[in-house]
Amino acid sequence: MRQRTSGPSDRPPPTRHRPRAAALAAQVLCVLVAGATAGCASLASPTAEVGADRMTDPRPARDGGTLTIALKSDPDKLDPTLASTAVGRTVFTAMCEKLYDVDAENRIVPQLAAAPPTTGDGGRTVTIKLRRGVRFADGTRMDAKAVKTSLDRHRTLTGSVRASELKPLTSVQAVGDDTVRLRLAKPYVPLLALLADRAGMVMSPTALKRYGKGFASHPTCVGPFRYAERVVGDRIVLDKDPNYYDADAVHLRRVIYRTIIDGNVRLANLQSGDIQVGDQMDPVQVGRALTEPGLQLFHSPSLGYYGLTLNIGNTKGAGAPPGRIDTPIARDVRVREAFDLSLDRDLINTIVFQGRYRPTCGPLPSGTPYATGSRCPARDLAKAKRLLRAAKVTTPVRVRLQISTTPEDNRLGQVIQAMAKEAGFAVSLTPTEFATGLEHSRAGDFQAATTNWSGRLDPAGNIDVFAGTGGAQNYGGLSDPAIDRLIAEGGATAGKPARKKIYARLVERVRAAHTVLYLIQPTNYVSVTEKVAGLKVFGDGLIRVKDAGYVKGGS
Amino acid sequence: MSAAATALPAAEERARAPLAPLSRLRLLTRNKLALTGAVAAAILVLIAVCAPLIAPYDPARPDFAAALQEPGWAHWLGTDDLGRDQLSRVVYGVRASLQIGLLAVALAFAAGVPLGLIAGYYGRFADSVVSRLTDTLLAFPFLVLAVGLATILGPSLLNATIAVGVSQIPAVIRITRAETLRLKHLDYVAAAVVGGGGDGTVLFRHILPGALSALTVQATVGIPTAIIGEALLSFLGLGVQPPSPSLGVMLSSAQAYIAAAPWMAVFPGLAIIAATLAFNLLGDGLRDILDPQGDSR
Amino acid sequence: MPYPIRRLGESLITLFLVSVVVFAGVRALPGDTATALAGEEPTPEAIAQIRESYGLDDNIVVQYLRYVRHAATGDLGVSSRTGLPVLDSVMEALPVTLELSALALLLAVVVGVGAGVVAAVRRGRPEEWLVNAVALLGLSVPAFWLGIVLVLAFAIAVPVFAASGFVPFGVDPMENLRHMVLPVIVLGSGLAAVVMRQTRAAMLGSLSADYVRTARAKGLSRRQVIMGHALRNSLVTVVTVLGLQLGHLISGAVVTEQIFVLPGFGKLTIDAVFSRDYAMVQGVVLFTSTAYILVNLLVDLAYSVIDPRIRLGGAQ
Repeated sequence: MRQRTSGPSDRPPPTRHRPRAAALAAQVLCVLVAGATAGCASLASPTAEVGADRMTDPRPARDGGTLTIALKSDPDKLDPTLASTAVGRTVFTAMCEKLYDVDAENRIVPQLAAAPPTTGDGGRTVTIKLRRGVRFADGTRMDAKAVKTSLDRHRTLTGSVRASELKPLTSVQAVGDDTVRLRLAKPYVPLLALLADRAGMVMSPTALKRYGKGFASHPTCVGPFRYAERVVGDRIVLDKDPNYYDADAVHLRRVIYRTIIDGNVRLANLQSGDIQVGDQMDPVQVGRALTEPGLQLFHSPSLGYYGLTLNIGNTKGAGAPPGRIDTPIARDVRVREAFDLSLDRDLINTIVFQGRYRPTCGPLPSGTPYATGSRCPARDLAKAKRLLRAAKVTTPVRVRLQISTTPEDNRLGQVIQAMAKEAGFAVSLTPTEFATGLEHSRAGDFQAATTNWSGRLDPAGNIDVFAGTGGAQNYGGLSDPAIDRLIAEGGATAGKPARKKIYARLVERVRAAHTVLYLIQPTNYVSVTEKVAGLKVFGDGLIRVKDAGYVKGGS
Repeated sequence: MSAAATALPAAEERARAPLAPLSRLRLLTRNKLALTGAVAAAILVLIAVCAPLIAPYDPARPDFAAALQEPGWAHWLGTDDLGRDQLSRVVYGVRASLQIGLLAVALAFAAGVPLGLIAGYYGRFADSVVSRLTDTLLAFPFLVLAVGLATILGPSLLNATIAVGVSQIPAVIRITRAETLRLKHLDYVAAAVVGGGGDGTVLFRHILPGALSALTVQATVGIPTAIIGEALLSFLGLGVQPPSPSLGVMLSSAQAYIAAAPWMAVFPGLAIIAATLAFNLLGDGLRDILDPQGDSR
Repeated sequence: MPYPIRRLGESLITLFLVSVVVFAGVRALPGDTATALAGEEPTPEAIAQIRESYGLDDNIVVQYLRYVRHAATGDLGVSSRTGLPVLDSVMEALPVTLELSALALLLAVVVGVGAGVVAAVRRGRPEEWLVNAVALLGLSVPAFWLGIVLVLAFAIAVPVFAASGFVPFGVDPMENLRHMVLPVIVLGSGLAAVVMRQTRAAMLGSLSADYVRTARAKGLSRRQVIMGHALRNSLVTVVTVLGLQLGHLISGAVVTEQIFVLPGFGKLTIDAVFSRDYAMVQGVVLFTSTAYILVNLLVDLAYSVIDPRIRLGGAQ
């Protein structure tokens, strides 16, 4: 089963950094031996500035070589219809191209489509012209029928996580060989962004017929690389696809995705040369990754956010009609606002994320085309206390906060706990493991919970399901007719300036409800050896390897 | 022959008349190993009990301005990622660890000793049932069992204790059962049975006291195991509820800073080693005193 | 009933109980496959569909019988997380865990027995004290902490060994060993301490036993007595203890694999528990439990051949 995945010939010689290593060893020894005495010199890592966003590396690359990328967690099913993790999307970028893609400015550009779509019938039909002469990894031709097969599978396969995204779609029609016409129940602008994500991935109809639900063990799409093998928990191996329409531009012979959960170990493997790319570097390691010779750092503002969801009406499960919850924080928006005002976002960023992310207070973070750019209100303890008095609640107001079991979320929870305490909240923390937490959130079995959303390109993807009545992730049970109306308007309005205005109002309304308290906008940090050129890391945080390769003249 | 002849009455005597507490204590002081362990354990218990007096700071109170300070005069063991005093947290962490160690062992004994007695004494059906139960628990990897329990129960000091305690039950059952089997064939116990002593009398008057030495040793072995078990659960985020300190929680939060602030991992690690070492030493010493032939467990 | 058959019957009952407990146990965890799978798109419809497609709405007894029926034909189901057959993933993980456990066992036996003999023979001397102290330390250091410290020292500060990952032996033996050294030390050290203590205790018992005195009285050399008689008899105890320790070895492997990101059973299980991948949890626990039960069965049977009293004692 196992193939020879790396040999001495295609791996660059390991780089060793003795001086740094020795210094670290000395530090460790110093702490171990000297213990509590003050004999240790400054141990804190130097704080280096990351500077302006860095998303591309234009240096020319030579052909050949294997690139090993370390992911933070193990991807789920490699089936675009059934996949639901963010790391899975990273692997898909190398082997499953989409009808549309995203560029460095978070604009949607054609990928397997030949041009931007044309709309008709007041936005109810969308016509997409396809790129010609494209073949899947198994040699099958990619045509309108293949696109229809994939879209229909996304819409109808049992257990499809795309089905809800594509709900506005009523039918897909292959018009000739290279044109697909989509019919919608009503105009739905966010569709384009979905077609630039997993819903827009086209799978080989031959492979679908042959493997059916077992497609995950033989994923076959159009992409610079094609699936070779997977060892669960360890690696996913992709080889250069000679059938790819732009194969001449692809330099690397092979890409290997490995799972290395611990950030320090990811960095150590980068230093030793065992891997060349470290995905999702934690803020703690960013400083070290910056000062490390031989490493370059890509970083772009993420489309997502860290926040808190307060449960104000979810009694029968998300999606069900909201009920009444009789806690101060659910009952009175003033109490929620007071909670919000007790939090110092800058300090949260400094303490929890080493100052490597940025504070935010809305669902559409900066850098995205619809960002509202509003300034976050500063921490205001006096006002928070005034609001609590006005709400006539007895302090301390007890709040149970559900956090995940990761050390990072533990830090976030404890910082929030300490800050809210000063305003008159007694926050107790319940670390809850992933699936249990999801279950509690869905069922409404929580008072407050930390949220971490990876973010979507279209503003609707960051708002609709979270704030709309009956939204699948409206865990807080928010139900506001005005918000619902604005969501519908935003989805149906095509002109960007008009749409932007709608979302500005929508964001204000959502913020005023204080059901989700938006706190931090993360930055995508990807650490890469300097020997590798041509990588791209955009706002979606995905590592694009199509143009990557080892630098010319390097060993 | 002579060795066996002298060994048997000695064992009987030991079982029939458990040593008076005082003479046990004297034995303890004569055995250097046990003494070291006992003193170390006593110091740890003292630290745990007097934690509020020893800890220079509130272990749960963050001081964001003082985050990640290396060991120095203000904070002997440095501060953690939220600026909390490491020394205070280690002290309270030892307290939490001991609490979990003792409670988990108590739980394992409360469930395991009666089951072991029943299985060993009544044999036959009861033995089969209990033995299959024990085998089933033993066949599960500890971590899967503990992680599963902790996930179902949710994180808290008590639940971590339960998860760790349950995984120790099979060992306690096995030892109690083995001791009961051994003791019930000894002449004096057989005599008591023939003499018309009720089952309860025989079990609690004769068998339990006889098994006490083996159980004492098991308890001292169980405590460090439980401490490490808690650390492991907390390390996976399933242990004590934050911001309460526990040694495992401290290690868990230290992991991200292992290169930037190694003191965060070193001191709780040393504290765990100290705690487990103390009880392992004590256990070894007790084993030498109570079972000089060298118990095979 | 003859002892071997009775013992076999017991093992089968235990296996049945384990399968029931793990089957019910994973389903008792809060949240189910569907919740974990739906991930970022948890619409009620999607969740209902996933539940249906995995047959989670059926009666649990029906589900169990279906599982047993499939398992009997070697079909352990499909992982709900990765969509790959459980048996394939288990078979890929098996060599990793086997190699790790075997090397750790080897380390434990070589170091443990050697040190145990030294400690027993040199009773009351500095050697014994040293060996005892090291063994106690080995027992007292939490494996995951040792793992972190070793990675820091030998993979980051002085990068001689790999910090994580696995290279199959067949692909590159040197790389394989470079990746296995630290995990084997972490897993083997605790076990070595246990083996050392058992060996020492058994040796002390043997050395004071009659037949050893007789052997020495007969004029056999000290070396012959120690190696030929005392050690050989002590090994019976050590083997039994190793059988019992196998369960700990598997648990330990789970932790070790987690630290060093080795794609073995441990990582497979923990990931599966957290993603509510029922088929995977069941498959892995079934494998590890069967291994544990089997080894203990063999140890018991071997023991009963060596020492007939066990058969008698067990049959009464």
